[in-house]
Amino acid sequence: MVFQVAIAQQTVTGSVSDEEGNLLPGATVVVKGTSSAVTSDFDGNFSVKATTGDILVISFVGFESQEFPVSGSIINAILASSNKLDEVVVTAYGVNRAKNEITYQTERIGGESVSSNSFTSATSALAGKVAGMQINIQSNGVNPSSKIILRGFRSISGGNEALIVIDGAIASKGAFDDLNPIDIESLNVLKGATAAALYGSNASNGAVIVTTKQGNNKSKFTIGASSTFTLEQIAYTPEFQTEYGTGWDGHYDPIENTNWGPRFDGVLRRVGPLFPVGTVLPEGTFATTPDGQPYQVLPYAPVQDHIKDFFETGESLQNTVYFRGGDSTSNIYLSLGNQQTKGIILKDTYNRSTIKLNASKQLGDVKIGINSNLLMDKTSEVGNSIGDQNREFYWFVVNTPANIPLKNYKNWKTDIYASPDGYFNAFYQNPYWAIDTNRSNSKSDRANGNAYIEWEAADWIKLKGQVHYNKFSSFSKNWRAEQDYDPVTQPYHSFVSSFVTDSEQQFMVYGYDFFADIKLDITEDFSMKALVGASSSVYTYRNSSLTAVNLSIPDFYDISNGTGELQGTVDEQTKNTYGYFTDLNIGYQDMLYLNLAGRYDYTSVLPSDENGYFYPSVGLSFILADKNGNSLIPSLESNIINYAKFTVSNSIVYNDSVGIFSINERFFQSSAYPYGSINGFYLGGTAASTDIKKEKLASTEFGLNLGLFDNRITLDASYYITKTSDLLTYVTSSPSSGSSSLLTNVGDLESTGLELTVNAGILESPNFAWDLNVNYSTSETTVEKLAGDTKNVQVSGPVYAVLGEAYPQLRTTSYERDPQGRVIINPNTGNPVIGELKNQGRALPKHIVGLTNVFRFKEFSLSTTLDYRTGHVYYSELADRMEFTGSSVESASSNRQDFVFPNSVVETAPGVYSPNTNIPITDGKMGYWQNHHNEIKENYVRDASAIKVREISFRYDLSKKYLSELGLSKLSLGIVGRNLITWLPEENRFSDPEFNNATTNGVGVGGYQQSPPTRNYGFSINVEF
Amino acid sequence: MKNTIKNIFAALLVLSLITACNEDFLDVNTDPNNPTSVTLDLALPVAQTYTASSIYGTGARHTNTIGNLYMYNWSQAYGFSWYLEEFQYLVAPSFYEQIWDYQYQNALKQYHVLDVEGEGTTNNYFRAISKIMKSFHFQVLVDMYGDIPYFEALQRGGNITPAFDDAEAVYDDLIVQLTTAIEMINDAGADAINPGNQDVMFGGDMVNWVAFANTLKMRILIRQSGMASKQAYIKEEFAKITSIITEDVAVNPGYINEDGKQNPMWSFYGYDVAGTVTLTNDATCATQYVLDFLTDTNDPRIDYLYERPAGGHLGVEQGYVVDSSFSADNVSNLGPGILKGFDQDAIIFSSSEALFLLAEARVRGYMSGDAKSVYDAAIRESFATLGATQGTYTGDADWNSKSKIEAIITQKWIALNGTNGIESWYEYNRTGFPSGLPVSNQSPQPDRPVRHLYPNSEISANASNVPAQKNAFSNKIFWAN
Repeated sequence: MVFQVAIAQQTVTGSVSDEEGNLLPGATVVVKGTSSAVTSDFDGNFSVKATTGDILVISFVGFESQEFPVSGSIINAILASSNKLDEVVVTAYGVNRAKNEITYQTERIGGESVSSNSFTSATSALAGKVAGMQINIQSNGVNPSSKIILRGFRSISGGNEALIVIDGAIASKGAFDDLNPIDIESLNVLKGATAAALYGSNASNGAVIVTTKQGNNKSKFTIGASSTFTLEQIAYTPEFQTEYGTGWDGHYDPIENTNWGPRFDGVLRRVGPLFPVGTVLPEGTFATTPDGQPYQVLPYAPVQDHIKDFFETGESLQNTVYFRGGDSTSNIYLSLGNQQTKGIILKDTYNRSTIKLNASKQLGDVKIGINSNLLMDKTSEVGNSIGDQNREFYWFVVNTPANIPLKNYKNWKTDIYASPDGYFNAFYQNPYWAIDTNRSNSKSDRANGNAYIEWEAADWIKLKGQVHYNKFSSFSKNWRAEQDYDPVTQPYHSFVSSFVTDSEQQFMVYGYDFFADIKLDITEDFSMKALVGASSSVYTYRNSSLTAVNLSIPDFYDISNGTGELQGTVDEQTKNTYGYFTDLNIGYQDMLYLNLAGRYDYTSVLPSDENGYFYPSVGLSFILADKNGNSLIPSLESNIINYAKFTVSNSIVYNDSVGIFSINERFFQSSAYPYGSINGFYLGGTAASTDIKKEKLASTEFGLNLGLFDNRITLDASYYITKTSDLLTYVTSSPSSGSSSLLTNVGDLESTGLELTVNAGILESPNFAWDLNVNYSTSETTVEKLAGDTKNVQVSGPVYAVLGEAYPQLRTTSYERDPQGRVIINPNTGNPVIGELKNQGRALPKHIVGLTNVFRFKEFSLSTTLDYRTGHVYYSELADRMEFTGSSVESASSNRQDFVFPNSVVETAPGVYSPNTNIPITDGKMGYWQNHHNEIKENYVRDASAIKVREISFRYDLSKKYLSELGLSKLSLGIVGRNLITWLPEENRFSDPEFNNATTNGVGVGGYQQSPPTRNYGFSINVEF
Repeated sequence: MKNTIKNIFAALLVLSLITACNEDFLDVNTDPNNPTSVTLDLALPVAQTYTASSIYGTGARHTNTIGNLYMYNWSQAYGFSWYLEEFQYLVAPSFYEQIWDYQYQNALKQYHVLDVEGEGTTNNYFRAISKIMKSFHFQVLVDMYGDIPYFEALQRGGNITPAFDDAEAVYDDLIVQLTTAIEMINDAGADAINPGNQDVMFGGDMVNWVAFANTLKMRILIRQSGMASKQAYIKEEFAKITSIITEDVAVNPGYINEDGKQNPMWSFYGYDVAGTVTLTNDATCATQYVLDFLTDTNDPRIDYLYERPAGGHLGVEQGYVVDSSFSADNVSNLGPGILKGFDQDAIIFSSSEALFLLAEARVRGYMSGDAKSVYDAAIRESFATLGATQGTYTGDADWNSKSKIEAIITQKWIALNGTNGIESWYEYNRTGFPSGLPVSNQSPQPDRPVRHLYPNSEISANASNVPAQKNAFSNKIFWAN
């Protein structure tokens, strides 16, 4: 009898959790070498039959799989997350997919880099960190606004901004800016239309998928608090000339804002008006005319930083308290935040409070949850309709000649020199006066989020229904006080009328999404994941405002206080859309994946015979090498290459980017009417073509992802081509056609680009680590076709879509040049001939490079981010406007004398040019610059290249040893500086080329209405219990 | 619990499908803020106030301003650099391009809206007004630019690049349109809708519209009176003219003293809502030449065209640098005959001008009758419009010392001073009168321009149709050769 001692199979039970103690349901437990496998249940527990000595391989998506030898009957596995590989990609509707399965390029940003470095808005945290992403800043006040652009522009009049999705539901850029950055868990950028096809037309420009923090299932409650204090200072002002001061046409003029006076000589000169005889002025500041009229005197010399010193140091304090907790079936995350900001302009303030609540509960197979964010804020800023010319504030600041120390004019109520009647400037008022007499105040609130039910109907299908909402409302009051002037001391100032405008705005988007998430293995080799669903969305907008003018009671700003007729408007908009979508992903042996997706959309803004459309996408993902799994070319795997994936995808997306109601030509009440009972309506200047079609985007993308040296170094590269056709554009029509613009489908754009991201762990040791992230992108959009014979379409101002050239393109009046490039002058005047509109260059960068270094030494870490943009130009509208005032450096370059235009020629016979050596320009003391140099707008187009040190942050995290002694689970202190250094080329001395006036696609024009660029320094502390 | 959840799911699914299948869900694209059509009477007054602004200004300068500057009526006071480009005759595509843009995109566009055929003769009055006023504006454009888009113009989306038509062909068609307009008025039945108060020029009095149409015809024909090839045609057309206007044709919707609602001349050249004088008023003054001219002829209108300062009338010759003795308070700014009040009528065709045209027609033999009496009546009307007392002043000196045509044109120049400068410039280009009119000191050429250049706005959007620019100083409009 053979006696066998059979080693008994026992039941091994245990749990699978992550390093923080969160249990992982659905983790795979495999008995190595066998086909025996189980998955952990909802509580993260598992039970499997195994023998002592067997090895359990436990894995979960997003974590390093680990092996556990069986030696007892209980194994509690703790898995470490695999940060570098980022195996989980959050895609459309919050559905997770493994990185291998994704057939398009995405990039993930961990919440740490957004939340821990004390940013007030998440958008500014993204600058320089994602290949192919640009942040364009619209306004730089106490509550800045910006746009996120992925892969350049694809449309002329449609929006080009990326879609924002928060926690699986479509949200808006405003909702994203209103998130407290501390609440952000991670961001996933889906770069092209392909990636986002499932979201419909809204996502034709890519999408940023934001996931906010959830609670944990650890039955442990975490409380944390974070406090940040930041200072903001103006970084630089435009460079103005400092050789000539107040005056006109070469003569000194004590009341001018322009700088056409004589050369600075340091002598005391009169500044401002002559006061009446007997006026008492402060000792030592004045002189008197022979007949007894006193006047202020100042040395006629430039004052250093005369504009820079006007600005204050802004301060911002942010406090957040957060709670995180849960148990095995539920979790909750709650945060309360508050921010108080004082801006760099005196009396600009911004306060806001946010509440975030994310909670979910598992009831058997069903999970219900809610993700929500509430915000309330209050803003007070100086108004933008100042003086009798209704100008913006910054204009008054820059129109201060170089010899005037502007900050000395602060007390306009008590200081006679700063008072409205005594101010030196006869044409522009004292900015300090403007701050107190022109205000724009507003309050707003927002509620956005989603509520969902998920039901795991079977282990292969999960159904989810969600409602999403985004509601924003704001109320504002914009007022201006009346001002009268003494005609003797201020003969040139016109009466400033008072007004108050009360307005409110409401915007709401809500919708339903419903889908089924299916995972099925068709055969042993073929796996399938599918998403099938439907969604609908309703958008409503309402804006109303009332204005009363010429108020009777001073300081009482209410519309009941006006004389004359009340002006008012109401504007309402609605847009409804719905669609059906499906996404099918078929995998072969986990090394080859095919993805097919399609969507059918309906929209209310297109003509009813054109308002439904279908668009598909297809992609392939080839896993060429993978040490952790199957691969197509295993021989590629070596010590160097541990992972290689190649993707190719193609998609078609349609865009309903025509404005709401815009397909109809409409009449508007004329602003001058009614006169009594006579009412009048005019036909709008914009005509609409009768056969409007939707825009079409076809894009193809190739991608390569490499993991080297066991993912010590990863490289992601992608190359894309996108063709947009039937672009919906407002074409500028000729005035003689009776309209100013026509909405029609005009043409084609083609964009191509390349993106490269390298992440490298250069040094990795227990005490010291150095991680490097370099990202590079280049893109070019060219206009391939326009309607009929049109050669160019004006987008806004000098920004055009020019046939055959990069888009957007700046076009301005130019110098006429001979074939050798020399400037042609008019022999009668010596002035350069003013040439027609010429292309000046592209307005979006050709190359963007971002570099982030993170150094870690024990508990200290230092992170720096810098980026470089180049290959583009911008038109400085500020420089253009300021030419009239004689503050440009060019206008001082010739000693205000007539000069012979350098390297110029005269056309002596048709086509024959001879060098001009003796004919000078006319009126170099002023007229030439104002009337001639200023007409050649090419002079104001500058190289927009810039290198910026975006962020330097230094952090100290208290080590675990000390933390447990203090009873804390986390304590970190940080110092951060932002936008610390900016290098600009010699020729651009005006402002940050990233600042843009337009909220539309008119990028490339800047620096006139905003306040100047700033830098920030902050200190923060974060504690968790 | 599970059943409830499953029911909720079913409900959500059904909900999304219901909203999806509902046609009305997508039918929300009708603009509740602005109508897609309005009755013609609501569109009419806006067109007429556009006409007034196209002459007197919109915040930008228009025809009356440049006309008065070309015709040496206006200049600038010390301390202002108000008319730099005008004094240099810097005629370029951007120079006064707002005239082209505004005439087409505002006035003509809005009048074109009215030219819609209705049932029977319901719209006859509106269509007639539309044709008459379009002719008014198209004539201004031809006289300034020569060849212009006409037959293909104003079609908006239907033709965004209209072809340019021959100036003379346009002129001929204007006469046809005016004739048609008169017929439409005469043929109108009981069903014709009368605009009534919404007509802020004539209040719906169609007899006056016929007279106005005829007066416009007269202007168009007289303009061509120098062309040998058109003499027979002109005589033939004159025979059809049965009535002309007897009072100033003016636009007045009921201007009030509020921002944006004042008479355009007043708001630009006069006083703002608070009663403060505008900077343009201070900046603009008489030329010494015109003051001397009026003083030498003892013309009482001088104090109505120009405000007499305390120290006596003082003018500034165009294009000279002056010192502070020529400040705004010391020079003769625009007078109370031109600036009457925020609610003053915006005159678009004065009775005085109509009578001067008639006088010339009689001198040339296109119409029968005594020319001198009409000439005298024209001068009387000018005094009446300015609110001045004529006293012993007559136009006899001019009538007797100069050729009759020169007398008429010279007196017309005085009568149109300040209110219709552009017409005097067109007449100067046609006749060369008044003779001896000085030129700005900064003029690059011996004489003032004779036309303007096609604007950048038209060139950039309609490049293939815009003809080559002509020489602005030597290439005259077709009727001047």
